[in-house]
Amino acid sequence: MISRTFFLVCLVGALFVIGCRKNSNPGSDILRVAYDSEPDWNDPQRSIPLNYQQAQGKRIFYEQCVWCHADSTPAGPSNRSNLNPMPALMNDGSALNGESNDYLRNVIMFGGQAISKSAMMPPYGQLLTQQEIQDVVAYTRVIARPAYRPPVRPGAR
Amino acid sequence: MPAERMGQLSRRLRLTFALTSVLFLIALAISPVKDSLREWKRYKRAYVQFTQSRPDTKRLLADYRPEIDQIWLPELSVVDRCTTCHSGIDEPSLLDPTVPQPFRAHPPIPHSVRDWGCTICHRGQGAATETAEAHETTLAWEQPLLPVHFIQASCGTCHRADLPEAPELNRGRQLLTQLNCVGCHQLQDAVRPSMIGPDLTNIGSKVSRAWIYKWLKQPRTATDKDGNVTATGYDSSDSLPRMPQFRLTESELRALSAYLSTLHAKSIESYRFDPRVIAALSGKSDVADQGEVRFRQMFCSTCHSLAVTRAGETKLIGGDIGPELTKVGSKVNRDWLVAWLRDPQSYLASSMMPRYQWSDEDLYKVTQYIMTSLTDSDLLSDVPQLGEPAADEIQAGRRLFIDKGCASCHVIDGVAPQHDFGPDLSGLGKKDVSQLSFGESKIPRNLIAYIQGKITNPLSVNSAARMPNYSLPPADLDAVTTALLSMTGPPATNGLQKLLVPRTAPVFQPTGEFRRVYERYKCYACHEFNGFGGTLAPDLSYEGSRAQRQWLISFLKNPLTIRPTLIYRMPQFNMTDQEATVLADYIGLVLQSPAVDPANADTKPFTPADVALGKQLYEVKYQCQSCHTIGATGGYVGPNLNNTGNWLTSAWIEAWLRNPQALVPGTIEPRRTFTPDEIHALTAFLLTLKQQGKTAAAASLSAEAGISARALGSESRR
Repeated sequence: MISRTFFLVCLVGALFVIGCRKNSNPGSDILRVAYDSEPDWNDPQRSIPLNYQQAQGKRIFYEQCVWCHADSTPAGPSNRSNLNPMPALMNDGSALNGESNDYLRNVIMFGGQAISKSAMMPPYGQLLTQQEIQDVVAYTRVIARPAYRPPVRPGAR
Repeated sequence: MPAERMGQLSRRLRLTFALTSVLFLIALAISPVKDSLREWKRYKRAYVQFTQSRPDTKRLLADYRPEIDQIWLPELSVVDRCTTCHSGIDEPSLLDPTVPQPFRAHPPIPHSVRDWGCTICHRGQGAATETAEAHETTLAWEQPLLPVHFIQASCGTCHRADLPEAPELNRGRQLLTQLNCVGCHQLQDAVRPSMIGPDLTNIGSKVSRAWIYKWLKQPRTATDKDGNVTATGYDSSDSLPRMPQFRLTESELRALSAYLSTLHAKSIESYRFDPRVIAALSGKSDVADQGEVRFRQMFCSTCHSLAVTRAGETKLIGGDIGPELTKVGSKVNRDWLVAWLRDPQSYLASSMMPRYQWSDEDLYKVTQYIMTSLTDSDLLSDVPQLGEPAADEIQAGRRLFIDKGCASCHVIDGVAPQHDFGPDLSGLGKKDVSQLSFGESKIPRNLIAYIQGKITNPLSVNSAARMPNYSLPPADLDAVTTALLSMTGPPATNGLQKLLVPRTAPVFQPTGEFRRVYERYKCYACHEFNGFGGTLAPDLSYEGSRAQRQWLISFLKNPLTIRPTLIYRMPQFNMTDQEATVLADYIGLVLQSPAVDPANADTKPFTPADVALGKQLYEVKYQCQSCHTIGATGGYVGPNLNNTGNWLTSAWIEAWLRNPQALVPGTIEPRRTFTPDEIHALTAFLLTLKQQGKTAAAASLSAEAGISARALGSESRR
């Protein structure tokens, strides 16, 4: 009699456990986490993950900027060494980390002359949209070496 | 006594009732308690708490409701409750990567979350209210969230035309064509090209049985990154070997090579060179060297690549429109080669190779170069003695040609391919996991892992697979996977059907004498005409507005470099004056840009003062020399301007300075705000830049000398 009750209790218990158990997941299937990536220019073995916005910046960089702001381009050696003053490498953190996002946006939008720098940097305000310019800045920030640390904004914790 | 008993009974009854009532109450409470502990409610409360730490709390909570949020778009059959937990999805102040998930805002994209929902792009189960059910595969829902790395696949479900914002998808689609996937599979929106692999009707007159055997066994004579010639060598640059490696046994190799080597329907007659040319050249030791010079001068490398070893590193240098030629001298027989060079289309009607004008002398030299220098004496050294093809081998080879899928890409007159050889992949992207057969493999049970496992090792999921092996580098494998995931078949709802952006197939059908010359030199293999044609060389849709007639004629006869950084240059076709004139006249008359109206052009005469002002603007104010070269100095991002005065029309220069993108969409020269006077002055200055014939030729030669060095330095970072 006792064994039968015990058996019944066990059975109900087991059914309860089975019924309430969540479907166990066979591990996360997400193969790769980043939207896109870019090799670290200073250390090609390392990869820098890019989010959507930075990836759009990368695309625009390789269309418009790579010719003068990198040492090699998809079509061969770059025009950078040909220019005086030599343009900053896009990942040169020591040159660019100190500048604010607004400053970089202005350089791209209005060109070098507008901020009393070399006129060799043309204005892109009519070719690129505001969003595209922000994307390029976001890309510059993420590939910067030494790494870029955004300034702490007052009020933000 | 009965009363006592009754009292006892009623006490017991009351006790029972009390107990059951309590139990009942507890049972009733389970549901509301469980409900208040639901996952999404936890996230709702956490969001309120999180907003307290933000400076704009009030704004962030303006739309807050403690209920399930839902985006309902009946037209698209979207019921997405994702915003229940992803509460800050369209709050610009929460875009920062430091904002914890699930509250972070979505990066700005062309489609707003409110109008499109989430699952159209991200997939997953929109109506679910638990993280696991919404994101992952469950028994009830087989479509998990698409990993963000492959998310461009979702762009492709509606945007069947290529999107600049989705480079991974575009690359994948391009690879599906280049790798000839369409030969065996049905793919969404992929048109079967007129020729996938070469027509083999006459292959026996071109190559030997031993070569066929070797090719079938190791179809790639290309080199891998270490410089070794390997079967699975795959150069991730633009040089893709088009023939994959099949898993063939020794007897299958013998049978197929026997069958193919007997195919010579049309015999090749050997060409009779002018006896004076033979007398002058035969026996000379440097004929091959002279041939190599001609080979380079004619820019065969624009379409064909050669393996070059420099500083211990071997790479393919040259284009991929035609096959790689490093060892072609050990492949083809001489009579075939001469006949081919003279008239490729007589052997292969759909060949993209131009029909060059050859002098006997050049033809002899180039043939000699190819047959003696582009060779590898070891190429066939590991091929066993095959002997004469036996009748049973030929019979078996003919059967294998269909069974192995050769006939899906290669045509042989009179051999019908097996219909629908490979599975239909046009709806692969929305396949449920339960519909895939993983066999015994240890591959994770999801669609992405299945696709990638199947491509890299077809046998892993199906031991009877007929698909050849493709060893793609990871980036290309991911691109192909993205393109395949985008193929979800016809849209399920009317709403989505209306949103499809179809892939268009542009056509350009010229007529008359122009067509004959255009077909002869295959201009469209490299140039684009109103959207039709190749993308290697400049788009010529508006060339008639751009170039002066006389310049066009001399350029066609002797193409010189306009953009010195380019590796690929226009071949020298040796066309006749008459052909060049026909092309130039048609281009000038028909290929005009609506944005350039010569009738509307600035008619003010150009004065020396204009020229001086223009020069000053060019050199000082705008510093155009950062990208353009004049003389020997300047940049090489834009075209060399040394010959502008002979090359461009004034109407084109003016229109270009006003808005370059109106003339060539996608050109990288940024649009500036020049005043009309500045445009006039710059045009005046540019038109004074003229080069004499001799210097032009010299510039072209010096660029040629630099070209292979540049090609070697062209490692791109991507």
